[in-house]
Amino acid sequence: MPQSQSTKGAKPVRGKKPPLSRMQSGGDGLKPIIDVLKKVLEDNERALRVDLTKLQGGELELGRLVNMTLERLTLDLSLSEDTRQHTVMVVDQALEALISLVRDGELSKWTSKTDDPVLGPLLEGFGKVIDTLRTFVRQINEAALQLSSSANEVLAASTQHESSSTEQAAAIHETTATMEELKHASAQIAENAGAVARVAEETLGSARSGRGAIGEFIHAMQQIRSDSAAVSDSIAKLSKRVERIGTVVDVIDEIADRSDLLALNAALEGSRAGEAGKGFSIVAAEMRRLAENVLESTKEIKNLITEIREATAAAAGAASASKGATDQGERLGAVAAQAVEGILAGVQETSDAARVINLATQQQRTATEQVVASMAEIEDVTRQTTQASKQSTGAAAELTELAARLADMIKRFKAD
Amino acid sequence: MSTSSLQRALSAAPAHALAKEAVPGKEYFIFVLGDLTLGVLSGHAREVTRPGLLTPLPRLPAFVLGVVGHRGEVLPVIDLLRFLGQGEMTVTSRKRLFIGSVHAFSAAFLADRVLGLRYLNDSAVLAPPLGGAVPAEHLLGVVRDGPRTLNLIDLPKLMQVARARIVTR
Repeated sequence: MPQSQSTKGAKPVRGKKPPLSRMQSGGDGLKPIIDVLKKVLEDNERALRVDLTKLQGGELELGRLVNMTLERLTLDLSLSEDTRQHTVMVVDQALEALISLVRDGELSKWTSKTDDPVLGPLLEGFGKVIDTLRTFVRQINEAALQLSSSANEVLAASTQHESSSTEQAAAIHETTATMEELKHASAQIAENAGAVARVAEETLGSARSGRGAIGEFIHAMQQIRSDSAAVSDSIAKLSKRVERIGTVVDVIDEIADRSDLLALNAALEGSRAGEAGKGFSIVAAEMRRLAENVLESTKEIKNLITEIREATAAAAGAASASKGATDQGERLGAVAAQAVEGILAGVQETSDAARVINLATQQQRTATEQVVASMAEIEDVTRQTTQASKQSTGAAAELTELAARLADMIKRFKAD
Repeated sequence: MSTSSLQRALSAAPAHALAKEAVPGKEYFIFVLGDLTLGVLSGHAREVTRPGLLTPLPRLPAFVLGVVGHRGEVLPVIDLLRFLGQGEMTVTSRKRLFIGSVHAFSAAFLADRVLGLRYLNDSAVLAPPLGGAVPAEHLLGVVRDGPRTLNLIDLPKLMQVARARIVTR
C-alpha cells in the first residue's frame, strides 16, 4: 500500500533517501535520532521512538517531528495492514470456497459478495464460472442418473438376451439332436418302405398265381359237376335196372312157390294112389326140392338186390351230396376269385403306395439331412450369438459400473 | 352124358317098395308151426294151398280165424297154436294152408312151412309124454328126429274136440 502511505506525506523520506553515512557525519546531538531511524529502518522496529528527554533545541524539535512522523507512519501502516488483512480474508474465503469446490465438489458455498472494488469483478467472474459449473454439474448429474438407469436397463436386457440366447442354443441343440434322430428314422422308414414295396410286389405275383389257380379250381369243379351228373344218371339207370331185376325175381319166386305147392300136392296125390303113385311121389318130392332151391336162390338174389339198392341209394346220396359240394365249391371258388380280385386290386394299390412312400421317404431323408446341416449352422451362429451376448452382458455390466462410478463422482459436486 | 337132377331122381326111384312089407309103418304129412314140428297121417291131408281171402266170423272160438272158400267148399281156418295153447299165428301170403279131411268133415289148418311126406316106422313112434308141449290127448305119439321132436297129431280126435268146442259155443 505504498499509495496510501504516499498520500499521508512520507514522500520526501522514501523518495529522496539520503545515505546513512552522510547522516552519521552530523552533530552528536542527532545521533539518537539517527540511531532510532537506523534501527527503525534497518531493524524494522516500528515501535521505537526518539528519546526526547536527552535532546534540546532543534534536535528536540527534530526528534519530536521524527517521533510524530513515526507515529503517523505506524498509524498508516496499521491502517494499511487492516485493509490488507480484509483483502486477505476475502481472498482466503474465495480460496477456501475454491478448495472446498475442488476437494468436496461443494459448489453451493460460493459467495461473490465483497465491497472490494478490485476483487468484486474478479469474484463476480468466478461466481459466473461457478454458476456455469453448477449448471453443468446438475445436467451431468441428471445425465449420469439417466445413464445409470439406462445402463441398468441395458444390463438387464443384455442378461435377458444372454439367458434367452442360452436357452435358444439349448433348444437348437435339442432340435438338432431330434433332427438327427429324425434323419435316422427317415432312413429306417425309407428302408422299411422299400421292403414293403418288395413284399407287395411278391404278394402281387402270388395273388396273380392264386387267381390262376382259382380259375383252374372253378374249371375242375365244373368238370366234377358234369361228371357227377353223369354218375347220378348212371346210378338212376342202374337203380331202374335193379328194380326190374327185382320184379323178375319176384315173378320167379312166385313161380317157384307155386311149383313147390304143386309138387307138394302131387306128392299127396301120389301117396293117395298108393303103390302105383310111388314113383310119382318121388318125382314130386324132387320137383319140390328144385322149387325150394329156386326159392333159396331167389332169396339170395333178393338179398343182393336189397344190398345193391342200398348201395345205389348211398351212391345216389353221395352223388347228390357231391353235386351240392361241387355247387358249393363253385360258389366258394367264385367268391374266392372275387376276393382274390379285390386282393389283387388292394395289393396293386399297396404296391403303388409303397413305391410312392419309398420315394417320399427318400426325399424326406435328403430334406432332413439338409435341415440337419442347416441346424448345425444355426447352432454355430447361436453359439456365436451367445458368446456375443455374454460379452455384451459383460460390457453392459462394466457400463453399469462406470455409470455408477460417474454418478458417485458427480454426487461429490453439490450443486444445490 | 349130363343128366338133370330130375332124371337122377327118376333113375334112383325103386320100382317096388319091398322093405315096407317087412317093417310096418305109416306115411305122415309133416309141417312146422312156430317152434313145433307136427305130423298127421298123410291120408288126412287132402291138399296144400296158400291162405286166400280169409273171412272172419263172429261168435267163434279164438282158434278159428275165419272161413275160406276152397273148390266150392267153405272151410273153417284153424290156428293150431291157439288151439294147443302155444301162442298164436299171423296170416301171410307165404304161409301154407293144408286141408285136413276126416270122414266127411274138412277144415283148413294154418302152417308156417310144410316139410313134406315122411314114412315113419311104427317102432320109432314113442308114446306121447305127459307134460309135453302138445297135450297127450291129441297125440298119437312122438318121434325123436335129431334135436327136435316130431309130434304126431291124432287129427280125427283133434277135429272132433274142435268141432265140439265150436258147436258148444
